[in-house]
Amino acid sequence: MYWTGLSPDEARESLANKDKSKKDKRMTLSQAVRSFVSDGANIGIGGFVNSRQPLALVHEVIRQGRKDLILSFQSAGLAPELLAGAMALFPDRLHIRRLEFAYFAHEYAGISPIFRYLAENGMVAVEDWSNYNMSARFKAGAMGLPFLPVRSPLGSDIMKSNRSRTMECPFTGRTIGLIPASHPNVALIHVQEADMYGNCRIKGQTFTCPEIAMASQHTVITCEKLVEHEVVTAAPARTSIPFFAVDAVVEVPFGAFPAMCHDCYYFGQGHIAMLRQAAEEFRKGNKAGLESYYDKFILSAKDFDDYIGRIPYKELKLARQMESRSLELQKFVESC
Amino acid sequence: MACHAESFTPQEMLIVAGARQLEDEKVVFVGTGLPMVSITLAQLTHAPGIIPVFEAGAVGSSLIRGLPLSVGDSRTTCKADYLQGLNAAFELTQRGFIDYGFIGGAEIDPYGNLNSTMIGDFPVGYRKPGVRLPGSGGAGDMACSCTQTLIIMAHEPRRFRRRLSYYTSMGYFDGSPDARKKAGLQGKGPYRVITTKALMGFDEETKYMKILATMPGETVESVQEATGFELMVDPDAYEYEPPLKEEIRLIHEAIDTQGYFVKREIKQ
Repeated sequence: MYWTGLSPDEARESLANKDKSKKDKRMTLSQAVRSFVSDGANIGIGGFVNSRQPLALVHEVIRQGRKDLILSFQSAGLAPELLAGAMALFPDRLHIRRLEFAYFAHEYAGISPIFRYLAENGMVAVEDWSNYNMSARFKAGAMGLPFLPVRSPLGSDIMKSNRSRTMECPFTGRTIGLIPASHPNVALIHVQEADMYGNCRIKGQTFTCPEIAMASQHTVITCEKLVEHEVVTAAPARTSIPFFAVDAVVEVPFGAFPAMCHDCYYFGQGHIAMLRQAAEEFRKGNKAGLESYYDKFILSAKDFDDYIGRIPYKELKLARQMESRSLELQKFVESC
Repeated sequence: MACHAESFTPQEMLIVAGARQLEDEKVVFVGTGLPMVSITLAQLTHAPGIIPVFEAGAVGSSLIRGLPLSVGDSRTTCKADYLQGLNAAFELTQRGFIDYGFIGGAEIDPYGNLNSTMIGDFPVGYRKPGVRLPGSGGAGDMACSCTQTLIIMAHEPRRFRRRLSYYTSMGYFDGSPDARKKAGLQGKGPYRVITTKALMGFDEETKYMKILATMPGETVESVQEATGFELMVDPDAYEYEPPLKEEIRLIHEAIDTQGYFVKREIKQ
């Protein structure tokens, strides 16, 4: 048995030695990535498919460049796609060694061309799990347990593709699966609201973000909006991730765009289609479109503000209007 | 009197058949893509009391804000009774709260096992597959732990295979008695396979796939022709009722108005 990221004992030891005080953790994206994302890191990616993907952080990781990364997630689209695309185009700048995951694609927007490219050319090690497996692996980590028993996907080839085990349950005598905890070196998570200490308030589904944050050695949060600490303490049951699980807080409005962010903005569908098209052309042998995407939106951008500044206002407005509306209001927006 | 549509595509028929298979007042764990379109149609027609569960965390939603483009879409949370995350959703499945899992798949075999991981030679070719697919997502879990599963997919020979490259979501394994129980699974397995050409079930004894009905315009022969293995045929096999005008109208005017899932052409 081997562990990627931290072993359960290392994760425990790391937390015992960590400063857990309630201090101001606000910093810039550049400082946060420089401080907490190192070469060789196992990165836990928050969100789910193209919802609340930590794209501001992903852009910064690409700009700074990192090597030998492991990406751990249940289902994700744009975050690993952008990292993988950077690897495909600029292998000296960014390199992913391994993926531990359940699903890497874009649901309505189709498969991930760059994942196909890397996997079909044997350029990245993959370890397939199911969504429940990855979620329960983060949960085991968050619970301080080395493994959790699970009932799925017993009997499948997934169980033969990864480090899971099966055993006879000591209590029922029936077959049960065991999956090892995941303790990433760093979690990258985008939320709607956080205070300066790192208390996070997630709106909508929590996905597996609280578990990833609690399991990881370090957690970097981007938030749509920094809120006063008193907002948090007025309703502490609304806190999804507590401050001492968080190391850095960066306020980045539209920090998941063109992924969606519950209550804030819907998918930037035009932008996703453009990126996916460029990625698909890359897979078919034409690099130019994808290169110009990275150049225009990531590498020549000074920071994420600069990238958002390059998105037409109308696209951002539409994404905001499409979110949290009745079907009637949506139809009006679509007809304009 | 029922007013049937004069013309419709195989995909529209597929979505309508998927919706009609969903029983009112049952708890249905909904996979991405076509299952989301079908359950929205069911909720707007015969099954207003259906209880959708989405793996990203929403339970009991009304899909009145429009078709979700993702099972993690905020539209899945509209008027939800309960909203958590993936662990909570899959724990409901494991505990036995889910009557039906509703999933799609890239490849299926005669025993209802599905592949959504890779085309190639597993395990030898796992590191460099011929075609890499997105992966299990939650489908592998749903197939194991929901009380029963409904499978919805396009009917093409390349998707219906005697042997799969990779077994992602387990059906009846090799059809041997109690295979699921022996593997440690609790759900009963696949109940129906709904395709662009037929409605199928599984033989009680052998767990082998069996034609229950052919879609309008199809015959047992044409269905067999499009299947990469021999199918059993139920002695009472019948022709499936075509879509109603109202069902087609709802799909395009109330559900997938932008054609995200429905206008996609199915390769023949």
